[in-house]
Order: sequence, then structure tokens, then C-alpha cells
Amino acid sequence: MKPIVELEEVRKVYRSGSSRREIEVRALDGVSLRIEDGEFVSIMGPSGSGKSTLLHVLGLLDRPTSGRYLLAGEDVTGLDDEAAARVRNRRIGFVFQAFFLMPRYSALKNVELPLVYRGLPEGERRLRAERALEEVGLAERMDHLPSELSGGQKQRVAIARALVQEPALLLADEPTGNLDTESGREILALFDRLHAEGKTLVVVTHEREIADRSRRILHVRDGRLVDDEVLG
Amino acid sequence: MRFSDNFKIALEALFAHPTRTLLSLLGVIIGVFAVTALISLGEMATYGIQHSLEQVAGRSVYIQPQFKPGVESVRFDADLVKVLRVLPVRPVPYVFSSATAEDRHGQLVSLDLVGTVGDLPALDASVALARGRFFGPREARQGLPVAVINAKAESALFGNGRGLGRELVLNTSGGSRLRVLVVGVVQPAGGFFGGFEGSRVTVPYKLLWGRIPWKKGRFDMIELKVEPGVDLKEVEKRAQRLLELRYGKDRISVQSVQAFQQALSGITLGLQALLGGIGALSLLVGGIGIMNIMLVSVTERTREIGLRKALGATSAQIRTQFMIEAVMLTVAGGLIGVVLAAAVLYAAVLAVPFFEAFILSPTTVALALGVSAAVGLFFGVWPASQAAGLDPIEALRYE
Ligand SMILES: Nc1ncnc2c1ncn2[C@@H]1O[C@H](COP(=O)(O)OP(=O)(O)O)[C@@H](O)[C@H]1O
Ligand SMILES: [Mg+2]
Repeated sequence: MKPIVELEEVRKVYRSGSSRREIEVRALDGVSLRIEDGEFVSIMGPSGSGKSTLLHVLGLLDRPTSGRYLLAGEDVTGLDDEAAARVRNRRIGFVFQAFFLMPRYSALKNVELPLVYRGLPEGERRLRAERALEEVGLAERMDHLPSELSGGQKQRVAIARALVQEPALLLADEPTGNLDTESGREILALFDRLHAEGKTLVVVTHEREIADRSRRILHVRDGRLVDDEVLG
Repeated sequence: MRFSDNFKIALEALFAHPTRTLLSLLGVIIGVFAVTALISLGEMATYGIQHSLEQVAGRSVYIQPQFKPGVESVRFDADLVKVLRVLPVRPVPYVFSSATAEDRHGQLVSLDLVGTVGDLPALDASVALARGRFFGPREARQGLPVAVINAKAESALFGNGRGLGRELVLNTSGGSRLRVLVVGVVQPAGGFFGGFEGSRVTVPYKLLWGRIPWKKGRFDMIELKVEPGVDLKEVEKRAQRLLELRYGKDRISVQSVQAFQQALSGITLGLQALLGGIGALSLLVGGIGIMNIMLVSVTERTREIGLRKALGATSAQIRTQFMIEAVMLTVAGGLIGVVLAAAVLYAAVLAVPFFEAFILSPTTVALALGVSAAVGLFFGVWPASQAAGLDPIEALRYE
């Protein structure tokens, strides 16, 4: 199997406060990590342990202070803004806890959005977005605004928006955190299916029940990987 | 990213808050309205003034003796009038004087007293009778005591419409009293300059020659009415040469209305620059308004910008999006301003007789829209940079 993600001694340090009394937060403190193609990995840890920061680094939304990041064998550590945006657009799918849908866009237009920045013509965008929405079971809700959808449906639109990119890596930060148990189960079932289809998933959660669905749990504490637990 | 998608995104943003969009546009609308309306009003006024000038004195060359202290002025006599007929013109000689007369309440009224040849309306199209008749060539030559007064003199002396057939006693500048019979009333001169007309009494030139000793045998001015199809400049030159031969150099002034027109268009040009400046100032204020609303919009849409970046929008694409939004905003304002200006100009043409034609030149419209686009480009830079510079994670976390 070939690795999708290789992190080497990645650190992320936030500095804040005045120059005299500077406060340093080591959100990531030397993380080394390999994720193979097709893996379903969850990241667990207490609040403030660095889970989101790790996910942001993986998704090129944030840059490590030091260390190296290879994405599918390619060094993406020092990419400039333009190149990083391209990688985000073509290789990374992101799912957020708070969905982050455009409130005035229909489900379909929300799903099309990443393809707008890929420069695809409208017809093709539409076709692909429709297919992605069908995949998450929302074929009947394409023209609905986010305000007309339940929480679970919103999150499925967000997942369709990630899937439409056909990403090498699907990243989700507490995707069920804003959902009731039933809707959360729907999302997890969807992740199971995507994993079965061979997608690579990395899901941040602090609920053991959710992490148990994955095949491997990374335990994070104080910016460090403290345990790499492979499930049966 | 496709360019057309930029426009769609910008349109969505502008129509998301239609009222606010319109309000934020007010400054630009007023600015463009001002620039367009004022430039066009200037053009329309220039046209109106020039047209009025042509009505009053458009195709005439005026010759007068040059006045020099210590040198006796040349004498324009009846013979000169005959000589001037060799040119393709109709010469109309004038004697200018002034007089006073008592109105119906016994108050003294100042009058322009003018002596000229008979049948003036036939020579000068701008002279039109309201009532009665003009004295004829024979009455003029014989110096009979008849007079034609203008409407202003009539209302001052007798009351509106009550002058015809009345006797008028003039105290001439020669000190003599002159009794004349009012045989006609002329209409007020049209156009812009009609308003500047004084009370005027026109009598046969011979009458003045007989009553004012120092006017005897001389005219103060000869107006050369240029025949249609004849070049005014050419006539001016030929008249100049003819008069130099007769009287010598620098004794005569020969003028047409063209010199006056040039001076006038210089004045209106200055006026237009001033008015345009006022418009430019409102555009500046409008531009700052746009910048302000764009900054508000960037702040409000921080999360949207963060999301777009997370999904793969580059900083350059975000910058372009906001620049296009700013330019579309100001150009829309510009269009509204131009349409408003056109409406107001059109109303002005209908309401004010002085504005004879509706003028909104393509250059003015292009200038107005170009300037609005430039305002958007200039004042959009800062908000667009703010948007482009946002960090995606911080932007997504923004509440
Ligand atoms: N922009 C930032 N500036 C300063 N500190 C930050 C910033 N982002 C995160 N941190 C800090 O880094 C640590 C890890 O944060 P995060 O990755 O969000 O934790 P988690 O997602 O596990 O709750 C926390 O202590 C947090 O306060
Ligand atoms: Mg977190």
C-alpha cells in the first residue's frame, strides 16, 4: 500500500501576548504519522489537545511551524498560497462540525462550489453535483436551501460537497458534533460506505462510539501522538 | 475560475441586500448624475446662447468709427451706406441717442432713442411688429415725427397694449422737445438676450439729424446684414478693406458676432469645469461610501470567504471577486445616475424655453460610466485586499 499522508516531526506553535510576556502554545509538538491509501482513521483526544490543528495541517488550511508533510508522496510543506489553494481544491475534501453551507445557495449550488474554483463549465458542475447528492441520498432535496434541511441533511450536503471534488483525502472535524444521535448514525453509516468504496477518511471526534467505527484510532494529547490503536 | 462566475457571484452579493446596495450607491448616483447633468447642461446652455446670439446678430457685421482721444472720428454718412451696397449685404444704418419722457403718472422714464431707415422688418428678420406698422423709407428720408416703440417702452409709458396711436413727447439729449406719433409696437426680441432689452423708441434717422445738432449727417453704426449663403468672414475682410481705402487705417472697427461667441464659449467652458468639479467631489464622497459598504460586506462575509478559501479559492480569486463587485456596484450607480440626468435634462428642455435642444453626448455618457468604473476600481482595492488576505481558519472561526 502506498501512503497518502506522511508527517515528519510536525510542530505548530502559536505565539500570542505582548513581546515581553509572550505566551507560546504548542498545538502540535512533533507529530510523525503515516496514513495509507484507503484507511479510515479517527483522531481522539481531549479538548485543546490539537486535533483540529492536526486536521487543518493535513488539509493545507494551516502551515506547520516546522516539520515535513508529504501528500501522496509530494512535499506540500512549503507551497505558496496559490498552490496550496489548488491542492485543497483538487485533493482535499473538508467536512466541518458547523456544516458551513452558503445560506442563500440551494443544496446543488453548495455542492457545485468547489468546482467553480476548478473552472468547470456550469453544465458539468451541475452533473457532478447531482451525482454527489445522489450518493449521499439527497437526490430529492437538490433545490432546497440549507434552512429547509435538517441538521443531518445539511451535513450530508457538506459531505457531497467534499465528495464532488473526488479528493484523495476526506477530512472531517467532529462531523456529528452538532447532530442528534439518529442523524449522527446516518452520517457514520455514510462514512462506513465511503470507506468500503475505498476512500481515505480522517475523522476527528471525542466520542469513543464514533471512533470505534474506524479501523485505527490516533490518540492525541498536548499536541503529541500518544497512542496509535489499530482496531480488529 | 471562469470569468462569468465572478459576475454571477458579484450579482448574488449585490442582490442579497438590495436596499443596502441601493443606499450605498447613492453617493455614486448623485456624483454621476451631477457630472452628467452639469456637463450636458453646459453644452445645452452654450447651444442656447449661441443660437440666441445668431437670432439677434448671427449673420451681421457691425462697423463703427474707431474712437480715439484728440482725433476727430470719421463720419459715416448716407453716401457710405450707398457704397457699402457693392458688398453682398444689406446695410442698416443707426443713429444712437437717448431721451426721457413722462409716463402716465408723470414720472420720467429713460429711453434709448434710435434713428434708422424705414421698413426695418424687411431688412432685419429679428424685428417683428406686434401691432401697427413700421415707418416707411419715405417717412425716414423726410424725417417725419413718427415712432415705433418696443413692448417694454409701451408698458412703461402707456401700459400694455395702449401705446398705438398715442402722442409721445421726448426730451432729447439735444435739449429739445420732440413730439412723435406712435405708429407701431415691436415684439420683444426672442432668445436669451431679449431679457436685456431696454425701453426703446425708434424714429426716422432724419428726424434725429434735424433735432440733435451734433448727430446731423452722421450715423453711429452700420449693421451689414449678410445675405444667405455668403461667408461672414469674407464679408468682414472685404468691408475692412473698403473702409481702409476710404478712411485710412485704424479709423474703423469692423466686428462680427463670432469674436463674442468665442469669448462666450470660453466662459461656459470654465463654468463646465467648475460644475464638473462639483460632480467629481460627490464622486469622491460616493467612492468612500462604496469602500465603506464593501468593508462592511467583507466583515459580514468573513466566514463565506473562509469557506471559499477552504474549498480551493485562491487569494487572487477572492480579490478579483470583490473588485468586480465594487466595479459592478459603481457602474450600476453610474447607469442610474446617467438615466436620472437624462430625465432631468429632458424635463429642462420641456420646461425652460432657453434650452432649445436635448443634448446628452455619447462622450459624456462614456465619461460618466468610465469614471464610475474607475471609482469602483480605486475604492475597491482596500476592501478586496482585506478579503483576499483573510486566513481561512480564522475566517471560518469568525462569529
Ligand atoms: N489561532 C490560534 N492562536 C492561538 N492558539 C491557538 C490557535 N488555534 C488553536 N490554538 C490552541 O492550540 C491548541 C490546540 O487547539 P485545537 O487544535 O483547536 O484543539 P482541539 O481541536 O483538539 O480541541 C489549543 O490550546 C488552542 O487553544
Ligand atoms: Mg477542535
